[in-house]
Amino acid sequence: MNRAPIVLLSTVAGLVGVFSFHSSPAKITFGTVPAAPSTTTPPTTSAPTTTRTSGPKTTTSTPVRNPPPTSTPTTRPTTTITTAPVTTTTVTPSVRQATGVSVNYSFGILSVKVTVSKTTITKVSIAAIDDGGNPRSVSIDQYAIPILQQEALRAQSANIQGVSGASYTSAGFAQSLQSALTQLGL
Amino acid sequence: MGTVVTLDLFDEMAQPLWALAPIVEEAIGVLHAADEMFSTWKDTSSLSRIRRGELLLDDAPLEIAIVLERCRKARDISKGWFDPWAMPGGVDPTGLVKGWAAQACLNVLRGTNVGGALVNAAGDIASFGGPNKDQRFRIGIADPVHPQQLACVVETPGAIATSGTYERGAHLIDPHSGRAMTRAASATVVGADLSLADALATALVIAGESALTMFDTLNDYEGLVIADDGTFHMTPNFPIV
Repeated sequence: MNRAPIVLLSTVAGLVGVFSFHSSPAKITFGTVPAAPSTTTPPTTSAPTTTRTSGPKTTTSTPVRNPPPTSTPTTRPTTTITTAPVTTTTVTPSVRQATGVSVNYSFGILSVKVTVSKTTITKVSIAAIDDGGNPRSVSIDQYAIPILQQEALRAQSANIQGVSGASYTSAGFAQSLQSALTQLGL
Repeated sequence: MGTVVTLDLFDEMAQPLWALAPIVEEAIGVLHAADEMFSTWKDTSSLSRIRRGELLLDDAPLEIAIVLERCRKARDISKGWFDPWAMPGGVDPTGLVKGWAAQACLNVLRGTNVGGALVNAAGDIASFGGPNKDQRFRIGIADPVHPQQLACVVETPGAIATSGTYERGAHLIDPHSGRAMTRAASATVVGADLSLADALATALVIAGESALTMFDTLNDYEGLVIADDGTFHMTPNFPIV
């Protein structure tokens, strides 16, 4: 089934809503949907930068099927905290990436980046993680990511539309991953 | 707190976005409103004020009374294994509120007339319809003992909620002893309404598989308990695939 996802993201301090629409055929008329805000790759700095929205905010971003926007995806995790609007980038027409919302997890804040080739997940990684220097996050990086990568890959092979339940270290990870997948229409 | 809720709509008719957007906005608004009313992390929420004795239930938003009434019903059905009034710090319906908010959000989405919709609040899922007209939604249950796997796949009748060891401490207090305690690795409940499924899943993971008897007189709900040793215990009609 072709999917043309449209994503609405609104953020407040508590519950975060992420919406996607799956339909066939692929053509969707956008009508008066405002253009996506321009996305910039966060600079690699040593000082964490934080943008916070004070009230409910709605941004609409549409993944591009025609000429893709030019942007360079980061290839390694940074220590920058960002709560800016989440970004979807197109590397080639069939390879796309998205970064999920920043979520609180056991030791701090993280966001997950997922890469897909057409509709197959090829890579899952931490986009940004800040834990106040807690050394345990390193072991999460080394231990949890390969396991959660497997979890994400396993999930997609079971023809399911969601996962219920999550292990202690991965609750926040799964949430951010979920929002990244939703942006990509998966 | 940062609970990410995802809303997925599935439709074969490709409705234009402008028709869907106002309803989706309203559905997301329901989540925000629930957070404003019920968050125990916010000092100014109505529930926090009730817990501190600053606000009477009669003067609080109607939704709070509705939720507490559902909590009473869930307490009866679960024979006290789910009991918001036994929580430290005052009445705490958090074990039911997430499911209630997601279900209310889904009910707004019915106005889109799509073939299927799914609201996933960090693993508690409310849904109607399916991904296409020939299928119901299939939901994987994370394996609490082997985190890199799915324990099983379930065809959901609508609502599915899972309570597990990752919640240990905050909400999994045994009402009978007053201490944090679980007798299972995870518990999953499916049924028509997510608020009740949420509460009963919480009760089940605290009480363990012997409490599956609570479903004997509850026709539209089924339960699964994954014990600490990894064994499955489920009600006869649990919709495992």
